[in-house]
Amino acid sequence: MKTATLNKSDIGKCIDLLLQSDLRVIAPRLIPRLDEDGTDSIDVLTFTEVDSGDDHQVGEGLLPLNGVKEFLFAKHEPLFAYEKRGKKIEIIPVHHEYPQTVIIGVRPCDAASIASLESVFSDANAGFEDPFFTERRSRTTFVTYSCTAPDASCFCTSVNLAPDSAKGSDLHLTELGDGRLHVEVLTEAGEAVANKLETLLEGEGDQAAREKAGATVHEKLTRLRNSAPIMDWLMDTANFDDEMWERLGEKCIGCGACTFVCPTCHCFDIVDENKGSKGYRIKFWDSCQFDHFTLHASGHNPRDWQFKRYRNRFNCKFKIYPEKFETPGCVGCGRCIRACPVNLDITEYMAEVAHKAANPNAMKADPDFE
Amino acid sequence: MIEQIRNQARKLLEDGDVDVVIGYAEGSDPSRTTPVFIRKAKDVDKLIYDPRCINSLPLYLNKRHEYTRKGWKKTAIIGKGCDIRAIVQLIAENQLKRDEIYILGVPCEGQVSHPEKWDGSLHDGNRATKCIGCDVMTPHETDFFPGTKPDVDRSSPYEVTSPKVANLMELELDKRFAFWRTDFDRCFKCYACREVCPHCSCNVCITDETTPSWIDPAAHKKGVFSWHLTRAMHLVGRCTGCGECTRACPMDIQVDLFNQRMKEVVQESYSYKPGYSLEDKHPLITYQVDDREDFIK
Repeated sequence: MKTATLNKSDIGKCIDLLLQSDLRVIAPRLIPRLDEDGTDSIDVLTFTEVDSGDDHQVGEGLLPLNGVKEFLFAKHEPLFAYEKRGKKIEIIPVHHEYPQTVIIGVRPCDAASIASLESVFSDANAGFEDPFFTERRSRTTFVTYSCTAPDASCFCTSVNLAPDSAKGSDLHLTELGDGRLHVEVLTEAGEAVANKLETLLEGEGDQAAREKAGATVHEKLTRLRNSAPIMDWLMDTANFDDEMWERLGEKCIGCGACTFVCPTCHCFDIVDENKGSKGYRIKFWDSCQFDHFTLHASGHNPRDWQFKRYRNRFNCKFKIYPEKFETPGCVGCGRCIRACPVNLDITEYMAEVAHKAANPNAMKADPDFE
Repeated sequence: MIEQIRNQARKLLEDGDVDVVIGYAEGSDPSRTTPVFIRKAKDVDKLIYDPRCINSLPLYLNKRHEYTRKGWKKTAIIGKGCDIRAIVQLIAENQLKRDEIYILGVPCEGQVSHPEKWDGSLHDGNRATKCIGCDVMTPHETDFFPGTKPDVDRSSPYEVTSPKVANLMELELDKRFAFWRTDFDRCFKCYACREVCPHCSCNVCITDETTPSWIDPAAHKKGVFSWHLTRAMHLVGRCTGCGECTRACPMDIQVDLFNQRMKEVVQESYSYKPGYSLEDKHPLITYQVDDREDFIK
């Protein structure tokens, strides 16, 4: 593996070099706000396209509100257009642009989420491929950045990841603490990017210092859960109807915030947007938390109440994903915890399930609950 | 103060006067609190109350949560003034009966806008803007209040205009539109703004209707604008200004600015503030001969 060092203050120059190579560059940026917004405003980071190296927050802040998923799995996109002529319906292909893209400043949890999305959208084993996703994926390079300051909601170490993990990365950056970054070139795509930054990269990296920096951050993660017993308990189908679920999900209000900010949630819906005799068939993000998500045409809904929908989301992450794809469906980014308006914390759910797995007759939050 | 609330909650549960007490408990990290349903007298010590309790609990009184509420004949609920406005509005809309609810009123100095801003105390740097100029810090409609409830003059027909709305209204139309275009670009239509609202109570939301589809469900400009403008219109004269829609937005879009502006329009037109009195007649569903009609053209 090729390594090098890079001055952190040169990241803006890196972005400019990439832009000069006609690449689309996505980076964390601060949202412009109204002046004197009042105390209700906080600095808000999102991944957005940048047009100059002067305006970016790479390595600053923790996580952008959106993940990188919208750049691979679009929030909405037309599958095709159609036009009705007499009794015939003509299907008209829609041209999509897939620009060569570099996403820079991606945190390890978000980088790991790409593999989870790939399991669904380009599953070679299942013989299924979503061309929109795979076209974008093949043209996107991820320049990742080790975490330095995880917050109270981070829990990547509970799902076998680490704040300095390079999983899913093409080119990985880690702060060495002296203003320099350790650069790891991990894939061909990463090498292509490194070649464009040649003038800014220096010598060899400092592997020992990188390991040490990673270990220091590791210790800051306090929310530790062991997900293995949870998965085992969920695999026992008898536990699907455990009465605990109802109590655990009762405060969930059924907004889809957790699923939309989740970097691995991938459900979508399809609708025809019709205008007169023509229109588009649109694919757009959906959420298992919506009351009509699995509503049947008959009126029956197997997930008729909210606790069943939240149970579904939890099972999707810790049972369905590992079972089907041998990869967890959760990367521990903590976005669902930060976004939840009622503080329904997935790690508390994990703790409850782990407790239940160890003590079949108990429930942690309510020992009397039968 | 919280001890008085806990004691009353304990008494209510022990005497069988209520089946549950909806309140706040410590959250999963020290800057957060969480809604809690207390069913047993011995659990009342879980109840807390401080400036981190910004959630609007009357949301759980909305019929959308009928499954959670099954078997609860009478519900006690801890209410700040703004929450009680939401309860009064739910009663006014026949979503709830007054005698199904026991209101444990709490005095409020204001709430902290974001968990990130909690530093152990409430101050001008972290107070939610909805709390500025609040006239229900001493709650109005209560069944229990810790201590003696001071008399408060709530006769002013107007609430304080939000400084944010004032800022926005000062902008030229094209700049105001640009502001919303930028903000709505982030919207992915998770509907947290709808689900967190105590007053969204349609059986089928208009945006979920499919035959015909009134609002495009996809989060493109048309779908996003038509959703948010429809949501704002459906809450005219009903929104009690709890600001939960903005707080719940995971993309930090200040959707309540629409509601605040519409609130001002209703106040200017009908001198009406929703959620203050159980006797109020709603301007948009009642007619009086002196009603304003100069906008009908």
